[in-house]
Amino acid sequence: MSLRGTIVSAVLLMALVLTASCGRVDRSRSVIIWEQMDPKEQEFFDIHVAEFQRRNPQYADFTIERVHYRTEDLQTQFQTAALAYGGPSMVYGPADKIGPYSIMGLLMPVEELLPQSEIDRFEPETLPILDDHVWGLPDHVGNHLTLVANLDLVAEIATDTDQWLTQLAQATIDEDGDGRPEQYGLVFNLLEPFWLVPWLGGFGGWVMDDASAPTLDSTAMVGALEFLNDLKKSRVVPLECDYPLADTIFKEGRAAYIINGPWSWEGYREAGINVGLAPMPKVSATGIWPAPMTSAKCYSVNRYLDPETHEVTAALLSYLTGTEVQIALAKGLSVMPGDKEASRNPDILNDPALLASQAQIEKGRLMPIVPEMRAIWDAMRPAYQSVMNGELEPEDAARQMQDRAATMIERMRE
Amino acid sequence: MGPRQNKLAFWFLMPSALVLLGVVAYPFFFNVWISLTNWNMFHFRDPEFIGATHYLRLFSEPDFYRIFGKTLAWTVINLIFHFTLGLGAALLLNQKLPGRNLYRALLILPWAMPQYISALTWRGMFNVEYGAVNILLSKVGIDAVPWFSSEFWAFMAPVITNIWLGFPFIMVIALGGLQSIPEELYEAARIDGAGPVRRFFNITLPMLKPVLMPALVLGTIWTFNNLNVIWLVTDQGLPADKTHILVTYVYKAAFMYYRYGYAAAFSVFIFLVLVFIVKGYNRAAQEEAY
Repeated sequence: MSLRGTIVSAVLLMALVLTASCGRVDRSRSVIIWEQMDPKEQEFFDIHVAEFQRRNPQYADFTIERVHYRTEDLQTQFQTAALAYGGPSMVYGPADKIGPYSIMGLLMPVEELLPQSEIDRFEPETLPILDDHVWGLPDHVGNHLTLVANLDLVAEIATDTDQWLTQLAQATIDEDGDGRPEQYGLVFNLLEPFWLVPWLGGFGGWVMDDASAPTLDSTAMVGALEFLNDLKKSRVVPLECDYPLADTIFKEGRAAYIINGPWSWEGYREAGINVGLAPMPKVSATGIWPAPMTSAKCYSVNRYLDPETHEVTAALLSYLTGTEVQIALAKGLSVMPGDKEASRNPDILNDPALLASQAQIEKGRLMPIVPEMRAIWDAMRPAYQSVMNGELEPEDAARQMQDRAATMIERMRE
Repeated sequence: MGPRQNKLAFWFLMPSALVLLGVVAYPFFFNVWISLTNWNMFHFRDPEFIGATHYLRLFSEPDFYRIFGKTLAWTVINLIFHFTLGLGAALLLNQKLPGRNLYRALLILPWAMPQYISALTWRGMFNVEYGAVNILLSKVGIDAVPWFSSEFWAFMAPVITNIWLGFPFIMVIALGGLQSIPEELYEAARIDGAGPVRRFFNITLPMLKPVLMPALVLGTIWTFNNLNVIWLVTDQGLPADKTHILVTYVYKAAFMYYRYGYAAAFSVFIFLVLVFIVKGYNRAAQEEAY
């Protein structure tokens, strides 16, 4: 190639590289939502967005784009993008991430985008409120753990732990005597403290006080750890049972009970399980019902939303969290609406699955959205796992959780 | 070369130099700056300079030494197995075996599969009750291994996974190197009475060094910085956060605790360790060359 040819080629190549940026999304003409929805939620989202576009021809110039991420990826990607004053128009996910986002200044308070009347549509306890601002609007609430029974294996769902433990022992069957039961009384994620929290509530405790200080070194925590450890020792649950294993065993019809949330119930029905839902059984020793954490799944608005998309984003946010969509989600996904009017809908009030779900929500407690919760989860996780491995006594674990949580909170603030 | 050609070369190099400045130099110095600030969730938009505070904390934490030791063990064990298995497989595939192409394709498979999928599959296979590994062990009369309950076995699980994932890389590199060694050298050695072991140490290994050294450098960096395998196989550090290497610890500090300054200090330390290792390799390679 001649020198002139080389130069021309180099210039063309550079021009190609420079013009490649022209393919970027025009943020002033796009509403982009980053989400961590499960496949069913995604289907509903796409249907509702199509309907929004059909009803709102005035926004025909705007494209609405959904980008899926796993929960942790969504968090890291959003933090990174927002740091550079970019990112999506809205993020969708569990409310517990909203606390850190709001403290970092990545979110726009909802009241800056929508009138107060839009916020008043919601049950106050479903809204992520921090420092007197509303940081997102939910399209459903719950996300709570519930007792799910295989009604082909248990005739009647237990209402207290004494009755339940008897059922679990009876339903655990090791036919060939190899020490690996073919059928279990109960399966659940033994590794994550999210599954420990309901029992902490059942023994009369909670994770933090009103000042967001950890309250993990308590007799309630010791009681809850002992209770779960006894379940494992009695072999009514599989060893090292993580979420996928629990889910698979239950779907195969080889467990009488599973403890899992609303996102999973439809899958069990589709797997042919005769599903029964009920609140987790009352702890016989204390007379207190287990208190799973409840939370909303919310749309939150990026602080650096392009001003030209304020109007369309506000309209879309209002539609996606509106009464009509919430009723459709409740019916289709067996989730509870956060919208007051949707909650009073007769179809929802008469749906047995939703009633059972509601019964569990009423016994649960709202997950704190403060960032200290991250430290508390991470403090609970290793100590809880050590108890389940037999490496730590519950009393020592409770103390370790408390110390670790306090240290981590202190370090987060450094 | 005259001044006109120099100018032309300068302009040709300019785009790549700018790209390197943007994607390597700037992030590097930005990271060093972050490590000297209190940048965290509460100072996300207004970080302040705090000097070497994070570095001092780093070296005063007992966890740091435990995790650093584990990272070194992780890297050394993996490299030894990557190297021996990879080279062994390459030597076998370099022979005239029936079905050689099929074996080659099968052995490259672990490397060709997405690491994410392999790691999650291995995690399932290590389940204490239902995992394929323990079921196979039970068939030969070995008791179930508590893969994720014991600190030792929880470390071995990702090590095994990463050995499986990583040895094909060395195999491919070594195989390419083996095929470029002139057959005449072996013939001459045979005539001189050299046996297979002598031929391996006096011909094969020295001739492979130029290709294996860069592969080892790359392998060291990749293994030292391998977040996916540890993170996914041990489900974020099972049991009880005991299976962390430096990069998983940094990831957690930055993206779960929002401790950007602290994580950046950790990253600078990782960078310095890797510089030290690469320098060592380079010195070894240069000494060999002279």
